[in-house]
Amino acid sequence: MANPAKIFETIGRRTVAGLDEMGYAAAIFFEAIYWTLAGWRYRQPVRVTATFAAMMQFGVAALPIATLLAATIGLMLAIQSLYSLGLFGAEHYAYIGIALSVVREFSPMIMGILIAGRSGSAIAAKLATMSINQEVDALQVMGINPVRFLVSPVLIALVLMMPCLAMWANLVSILAAGLYVSAELNQSFGAYLNDTIEVLKTGDVWHGLGKATLFGIIIALVGVINGSMVQGGAEGVGKVTTRSVVISITLIVVADMIFAYMTTQ
Amino acid sequence: MTNQTLTAEAVNQANRPSAEDIAARRKVIEVDHLDWSFGPRQVLFDINLDVREGEIMVIMGGSGSGKTTLLRHLVGLMPPLPGKIKLLGKDMGALSRMQLLDLKRRIGVAFQFGALFSSMSVSENVKLPLRELTDLEERTMDIMANMKLEVCNLSGFGHLMPSDLSGGMMKRASIARAIVMDPKLIFLDEPSSGLDPVVSSALDDLILKLRDAMDISVVVVSHDVESAYKIADRITILDKGQILISDRVDAVRNSANERVQNLLHRRSEQAEIDPTEYLRRLAGD
Repeated sequence: MANPAKIFETIGRRTVAGLDEMGYAAAIFFEAIYWTLAGWRYRQPVRVTATFAAMMQFGVAALPIATLLAATIGLMLAIQSLYSLGLFGAEHYAYIGIALSVVREFSPMIMGILIAGRSGSAIAAKLATMSINQEVDALQVMGINPVRFLVSPVLIALVLMMPCLAMWANLVSILAAGLYVSAELNQSFGAYLNDTIEVLKTGDVWHGLGKATLFGIIIALVGVINGSMVQGGAEGVGKVTTRSVVISITLIVVADMIFAYMTTQ
Repeated sequence: MTNQTLTAEAVNQANRPSAEDIAARRKVIEVDHLDWSFGPRQVLFDINLDVREGEIMVIMGGSGSGKTTLLRHLVGLMPPLPGKIKLLGKDMGALSRMQLLDLKRRIGVAFQFGALFSSMSVSENVKLPLRELTDLEERTMDIMANMKLEVCNLSGFGHLMPSDLSGGMMKRASIARAIVMDPKLIFLDEPSSGLDPVVSSALDDLILKLRDAMDISVVVVSHDVESAYKIADRITILDKGQILISDRVDAVRNSANERVQNLLHRRSEQAEIDPTEYLRRLAGD
């Protein structure tokens, strides 16, 4: 039988470790912002080329899979909405649910989960490998700030690209759903789009984009923190990569709920 | 091979600056009363050390002697607390962030396994400090990087990726990166480890060439006794976190200290073991 004292001790240790990690993440976040704004004072500005490269990697290169997922989500929502609303004979109002749930919820969340799996893991693996190979130490001894060199471009890229991906997902999902709904209801596609635009308010779009930005910060920080805390060799890299994806997705779902609650009260 | 080494050693010995000459030079490294612990385990005890301009200092010691920890302090990867470390006349503990960055531009470090960036070619690796820390034009950076690659006998290999390099080339590329900013002081961590004797000897020659051609001070952390005899002006031997001896090569070689001789001649120390106590320790009692 488990010793209760041991259980409490384990809970305590993990809580302290978790708080420690949060503090580290906050420190890295503010240091990345500091170097982004003040790097030029130390003759070490954040490199635009490195930032664009990260934007290409995390955003543009993710477009094919993001488009496929967004279209699938749009179609899935259309199918479910027509079925459930059809039970009450209200299928002509499907566009309301589709538009609001896509823009406020599904686009940022699905893009967050996609990028956490695709790019969060890559960030963690890259940093972990660099830490093990002493590349981060090499930067430090050269007088190159590792946060400025490695973290700031990633953070800027994700903060900029996540809302772009969410916006793209909005467009694709609504179009895909519109094609299905208009075909099923013998409605014109133009009328569906008009109804959708009418029901959506600017605040709904900002709500989704705000979430996407927050998820971008979460993915960047979780990837960086896990990558820099690697221990051991290749096995350690694998562990922090998996951990980074799991924590990112968990935090995205929790942050999504908190964000939705706080902005709707 | 032994004859070759002895010859090279003799040549270097003839070129070695005299004790008086070295003592008259400016100190580029001063370590005062440095202690360091990892949790309850103390790994450095009251380290006092100095390195002079143009001098090659080899820091030796067995595994776990604290030499890597000392090196990490010297290059600024660990804080010099408690104690004081001065590099090129600057107290590292008292510098502002800007001053510390400036100081780091004037030193170079080559890590044991190279620490080359695997996503960049050799040439890009060597150019990295120039690209990040200077406003030089691309063409000038290319020229400077090629010069350093040539000094390190890597001319024509700049386009290769680090994964394409042999162990010796990796170390030389790492040294090329360390010297690209024309530092006054370089640190080399285990430059000869994992290399065959011929490549290791060539690397020793490179270190001597760098000192003579660029007039830089070199700190080498190593456990290669032959290499130390060949390149060092002075040798510091660490044991269990303490400096056993820090002196000129001949003085270290002829030291009467048994632990120094054990290390130089690769003899394990005979410890008196009480069997009962040993069993008790294994059982965790």
